[in-house]
Amino acid sequence: MLEARGLTKRYGGFLALDRVDFHVRRGEILGYLGPNGSGKSTTVNAVVGLIDPSAGSLWLDGIHMLDDPEGYKRRIGYVPEEPHLYTHLTAIEYLMLVGRLRGLSEPTLAARVPELLRLLLLWDSRYSTMASYSKGMRQRVLLAAALLHNPDLLVLDEPFSGLDVTAGLLFRTLLRMFVSGNRMVLFSTHRFDMVEQLCSRVVILSEGRIVAAHDVAALRVTGSPSLEDIFVRATHQTDFTPLARRILDVVEGS
Amino acid sequence: MRAPAVWRRISERPEGRLTSHFFGAMFDFGILTPAGADSFVHLSLGAIGALIALGLRFALAYAGKYAALSAARSPEPYRVALLGDDLFLIAFVMLLIALPTLVVSQSLFPDERDFRILGPLPVRRIVIFRAKLAALFLFMGMFAVVLHLSLTPLVFSMSVSPFSGSTALMRVTVWMIASVSASVFSVLAVTAVVGVLTLVLSRTRLYSLTALIKSLVFALLVVCIPFVFRLPGLGSAMARARPWLMFVPPAWFVGLERALLGSSDPWLRQLAALALTALALGALIVAVAYVLLFRHFEHLLLRPPSISAPWVVRHDAQRRTNVTSVDAADPHSVERSAFRAVYRFTSVTLRRSELHQGVLLGLSACGVALTSSRLVGAGWLDRNGSANPHAAFLEYLATWTPFALMFISGLSVRAAIALPMTHRANWIFRLTETDAARSEQMRAVERIVAAYAVGLPLVAALPVLWSVMGWKQAAIATLVAAFVGGVFVHAILLEWRRIPFTCSYMPGKRLIVYTVVLGFAAFVLFAAAGVRLARAALDATEMAIAIGLVLLVIAAILRRKRIAEWKETPLMFEDELPDQPLQLGL
Repeated sequence: MLEARGLTKRYGGFLALDRVDFHVRRGEILGYLGPNGSGKSTTVNAVVGLIDPSAGSLWLDGIHMLDDPEGYKRRIGYVPEEPHLYTHLTAIEYLMLVGRLRGLSEPTLAARVPELLRLLLLWDSRYSTMASYSKGMRQRVLLAAALLHNPDLLVLDEPFSGLDVTAGLLFRTLLRMFVSGNRMVLFSTHRFDMVEQLCSRVVILSEGRIVAAHDVAALRVTGSPSLEDIFVRATHQTDFTPLARRILDVVEGS
Repeated sequence: MRAPAVWRRISERPEGRLTSHFFGAMFDFGILTPAGADSFVHLSLGAIGALIALGLRFALAYAGKYAALSAARSPEPYRVALLGDDLFLIAFVMLLIALPTLVVSQSLFPDERDFRILGPLPVRRIVIFRAKLAALFLFMGMFAVVLHLSLTPLVFSMSVSPFSGSTALMRVTVWMIASVSASVFSVLAVTAVVGVLTLVLSRTRLYSLTALIKSLVFALLVVCIPFVFRLPGLGSAMARARPWLMFVPPAWFVGLERALLGSSDPWLRQLAALALTALALGALIVAVAYVLLFRHFEHLLLRPPSISAPWVVRHDAQRRTNVTSVDAADPHSVERSAFRAVYRFTSVTLRRSELHQGVLLGLSACGVALTSSRLVGAGWLDRNGSANPHAAFLEYLATWTPFALMFISGLSVRAAIALPMTHRANWIFRLTETDAARSEQMRAVERIVAAYAVGLPLVAALPVLWSVMGWKQAAIATLVAAFVGGVFVHAILLEWRRIPFTCSYMPGKRLIVYTVVLGFAAFVLFAAAGVRLARAALDATEMAIAIGLVLLVIAAILRRKRIAEWKETPLMFEDELPDQPLQLGL
């Protein structure tokens, strides 16, 4: 189980995360929802070890992150929000780089990399540098890199942006099967539909704090509020009609 | 102040706006911030001023030289000197035009970005092409005008002589025609190479191969610089019609100049014919490239990245079907995976990134230019055993060469791996950093640095040493240089705790004069100490063994210390580049 206790992050005087508590159980996909600037990416960066929290702690299967930071990182696969890749490398070169950095042996890499590229429909572009890849193709490379070392926990930050319908369906099925093998997914997103279809629980973040936590299955019961309603209420979103009207007024010149 | 009405009319039309945009893009190398690009424009204007002032200064010096030659009894010294100086001036102009053309070569043809951004706008394709050509014409025209204006007083001072055979005005006019033709040839040659590569290569290969060719040509031009300044001494070779001059493009345009002045010398006329043929051929290739690109723009630019142009696709496909395996590496290799990861990442980046390659090869070329120019100056090419009056100096220079090359290559490789590359992608190295892997990753950096800063310079210097002092002495000098190199690698990697390309390097963190003076002093000291050690080793075998052993022990101790430090100290990373430009402190 992944557990965050009192996770806090300050940037100077700005409080990006304020005593955030959540956990992801084995066999579970936890949805992590929030508007832009709510602290989702800060949480994700802290969970994968890219930033040190100002306070609080992270535990993976009862072991504190700081007790064995290398072992902790080794068990995590990460797909970032923006496809930041070394685009002068080909997909093969990038996956080999990641695999070697993860300490995988050459025979393992030689077996896994081409197979992953074929299955993720990247084989035909294997000789092209990723500079020429679409956003969806880069997302697929990132997913392959995140899965390459068979992690226990997948941390996904908006992994569906740029993916076409087919790849989206494949990803969803893949995630369900991934957690059915007693593994965990922390799924940070803006998309309610994805959370409703994929996640067992959802945590909603606003201005660095957790403002709601729900069992997604319970939301499907007739008569209960929709996830969107809960989100709008919890994050104090207002009616967007006047704003939309003003935008149209600007372009229409009235 | 209001712009003239005609100019306003032109600049407000889509073609004018696009030309202005493309012209601005010529100053944008994609690595400068807006503030940096602004500074670059100011720097360029300053360089133009300096060039004009330098032209006037040289004109005065040349006026003195040619006044003395004109006062001689025989016209021969004047004619020989004039041939040499004409050759030099034309070569100088060609070089100075070729360098900026090479720098802006990414903007010579409309590219995929232009297509994707401008395609959806209501602008005809012909307008895009015309604007691109106009921008190129303006950019190169600006350089050519400044260059020729700054050199005109100099040519005038060379032409005022009773031996000239024509009026000074006539000579200046003809020189300008020949020199402008030579400039056009320089631009056409670079544009033709880029055009052919754009048409023939797949998009994937286009970026990597263009970068490599650009860096190599850039390095070659840098190596040419000191030799261009030796061209005034080739006046007699020109006068004697040496056949090898047929392979020196500036000589063709000297021939053109003389033919235009009415010379009936068949040799000069032959050179003139070569100049005209080269111009016509360059123009033809560029025109064909532009026309093909214009007609097949979408087809060429939007073809899948791995597919070449239709005229080469069969060959390409045939070759690629042979590649099936992912990694040809031996799975039983003892090298650890972390070492391989960083080693391959570094070598691939140096192979593909234009910026890093340019820094690496450009700076290294300075070392090659410096050493080869000094060697040629000391008579290395026409040495004649003990009859050579410079024999002792030549031997000193040969011993100095590996150390000079090592120092400059060391600086260039350090500068190249310190420059950032897609800094936001660094997270993968941060996620996977472990104590055990770190020293292996740093060993990969060490190997690349040692190969480039020690191995390559020694291989390059060995033929020089061998030719000057024989194989036995050359072997001893090379061994001493290799041991010194072992210590030098430590100096290069002093406080190095990063994966290459993952941190920002900003020139100007220290006062620039201080950096230059410090670098120069270090170079002089390093080369002098190296030569001293090598000379001592060459004098006595016992001394050679002692020096070798001492250096070996020092290098081994330093390496051990370095690896221990790498194991203990976390790596440095920078995910964000500084948002403020640093002060150069000039």
